[in-house]
Amino acid sequence: MTRVRVVDNSPLGNTPYHRPPKVIHVYTKNGVGKVGDTVLLAIKGQKKKALIVGHKMPGDRMTPRFDSNNVVLIEDNGNPTGTRIKVPISSKLRKMEGDHSKVLAIASSFV
Amino acid sequence: MRIEKCYFCSGPVYPGHGVMFVRNDCKSFRFCRSKCHKNFKKKRNPRKTRWTKAFRKASGKELTVDNALEFEKRRNIPVKYNRQLWDKTVEAMRKVEEIKRKRQAKFIMNRLKKGKQLEKEEAISEVKKNIHLIKAPHAGKAKQLEDKMVQKLQEDVDMGDDDI
Repeated sequence: MTRVRVVDNSPLGNTPYHRPPKVIHVYTKNGVGKVGDTVLLAIKGQKKKALIVGHKMPGDRMTPRFDSNNVVLIEDNGNPTGTRIKVPISSKLRKMEGDHSKVLAIASSFV
Repeated sequence: MRIEKCYFCSGPVYPGHGVMFVRNDCKSFRFCRSKCHKNFKKKRNPRKTRWTKAFRKASGKELTVDNALEFEKRRNIPVKYNRQLWDKTVEAMRKVEEIKRKRQAKFIMNRLKKGKQLEKEEAISEVKKNIHLIKAPHAGKAKQLEDKMVQKLQEDVDMGDDDI
């Protein structure tokens, strides 16, 4: 049950709650979530989908390692909930097929 | 493709090498090898770790202010592509590299020359202090005394001649 850091400016992600957002399900074949995988989060007593944009675990060669597990809240159809992402995002997302185009559009910096 | 600088040792990080770390204040750090990465994780200050370039520049052991070093600074304005400019830049890069190397070497040589001088002075003072190991204290005195007596006699003779 990883605790996760929401990096967009959505109200759900930024209003303080007495419990940090936690991952309750990972939508991959093996249960490991890396950059670009969707996960199910439990935030403020609700379930919400999110996209992983950077993690502490060392990943592919030539990808940066982040200091926290960063996540962007997402709807069921892939649209991001927030309107801006200030934190740098792994540029691996750009190459991946999957419709993260809207998320990439609101991101301001890539690493 | 860009050859970055290692945050810790200031060495070149070629593509496919090293680790990149992004901190939560959005500052990114590149490391050329795990040595630098591990030192960073130990919270060591590169300006105090003696083998890094940062230390050498901070303590004046290497050339810091020079026109040749200005070329390496990062420019954030993209330049419009011009083939001639490109060719000339490649040539200029070669020459600048040569000049930079010579200047850096000269700087270090000048810094080390003082050492040679100090060594010489030390050697001289050492010899003076320990001359008793080489030469006995009254070694040349007898001959000196003889020479003086001879000179005095000579003078007396001359005076005697003058009187006469």
